Parts: sequence; C-alpha cells; structure tokens
Amino acid sequence: MNIVSAIILTAALLMIIAGMFCLVRTYNLIRIIIAIEIAMKAITLLLVFAGAVNGNMALSQTFVITMIVIEVIVAVVAAGIAISLYHKNGNVDIRELTNLKG
Amino acid sequence: MQQFFIVLCLVLMVVAGGAAVMLRSMLKSTISLGVASALLAAVLFLLGAFWAAIFELSVCSGLITVVFVSAVSLTNSDRKDEEHVKEHRARVAALPAILIFAGASLLFILFSHDFNIVISSTPASFAAFKEALWSLRQSDILGQIIAILAGTFAVIVLFKERDNI
Repeated sequence: MNIVSAIILTAALLMIIAGMFCLVRTYNLIRIIIAIEIAMKAITLLLVFAGAVNGNMALSQTFVITMIVIEVIVAVVAAGIAISLYHKNGNVDIRELTNLKG
Repeated sequence: MQQFFIVLCLVLMVVAGGAAVMLRSMLKSTISLGVASALLAAVLFLLGAFWAAIFELSVCSGLITVVFVSAVSLTNSDRKDEEHVKEHRARVAALPAILIFAGASLLFILFSHDFNIVISSTPASFAAFKEALWSLRQSDILGQIIAILAGTFAVIVLFKERDNI
C-alpha cells in the first residue's frame, strides 16, 4: 500500500468535490470561475500522478501545459464576462446573464 | 522525507482550496486559490514534473491570481459580498462536513482493499520533454495557438466600444 498514492487520489477527489459544491451552491460568477480553477487543479494533479505511475512524465507534462493554457483562457474570458456583467447590471449574479443577449 | 513534504503540501492544498470556496471575502478567496496553486506546484516539483511545476507556479499562481484580483477590484464584488454574508455562509456551511466524510470514506476504502499503485517517479530529461512537446504533441501546440487567438478575440469583442454597433 503506497500511502502517498492514496493521499494524492484523496486530495484530488476532495478538490473536485469542493469545486463542484461551489459550482452548485453559488451564483457569483467570479466565485464560479474560482470553483472551476479548483477542480482543474485536481485534474492537473491526477495527470502528473498518472505520468509518475506510468513512468512517462514527459508526456503528462505536455498535457499539463496544454491544460494550463486552456485554464488561463477560460479565466480571462470569464473575468471579462464578469466585468461586462457588472457594468451592465451592477453585480456579477449569473441569474442576470440573460440580460447580455443581443 | 520527500513523501512527508508531498503529503504536507497536499493537505495544505486541500485546506487552501476549501478556504477559497468557504471564505466570504472574494479577495481572500482569490489569494487562497493562488496559495493552492503554489502548493500544487510544490507537489508537482516533488513528483519530478519540473516544467509543469514552473508553468503552474508562474501562470496559475501568478497570472491567474492577478487576473482574479483585477476582476474583483473592477467589479467591487468584495464589497457586494459583504451584504450577503449570511446567505453565503448558509450556502457553503455543509462543505467541511462533506469533505471530511468523503476523504475519510475514500481513505477507508483504499486502505481496506489491496490498493497498490506505486509511484515510480523518475524526472523526465529535457530531451524527452522536448521530443514529447514538439514532435509527439504538435497538434496540442496548434490547438493552444488557436485557443489563445480565440481568447484574445473574445476579450476584444467583450470590451469593444459600443458606439460602433
């Protein structure tokens, strides 16, 4: 029994649960982006863990770098949407996102 | 000793991630997310993923934190959240119990079964990493370029002047 492997898997699962819980329970757009980022941290950890187990760390790192790029783009675009929403409605409540259409 | 530091960083990372969800202040949540990223970078470094750790530390812990702090400042959501302190506290109150229950359950399941995944962490050489990134995963590079251009275009569209419409 490898204790480190078990704790890595547990930590990843807990991060995913925390992110999903926040996604379900909040209406604040910036907090939703933070929740997505937390869940993506867990996926990054699992990718590197898979590479460490299989002994193919180079390939897993390339996937992690691709994921980080996508993570940044998601964060920047979502932050832009949050700022636009604030300028239009005075808050960042996602229930008012329908006002952005058109 | 290395295993102890990995476990310590993982525990602190989960605490920082939970704090990012639980904290009422958006600014403190953002800083907690940055701390979680930095701790993840430390774990990646200890597991032998050096380049991924560098990217995680510089981009996720640095750039994304700056983007979030800017967004929080521009939207005044820190001040707005203070008006809904009780509502937010009630919404996320169950999270610590869920995390403790899920963590204890998974650890119990893993320890009670014959779970045996051994980390054979050997750091990748620069030549192997270069080969994987530039030769094996060329499509990823192309996809990243397209995604960056799409993101840039999206930001331009979001902030363009309304007079031209």
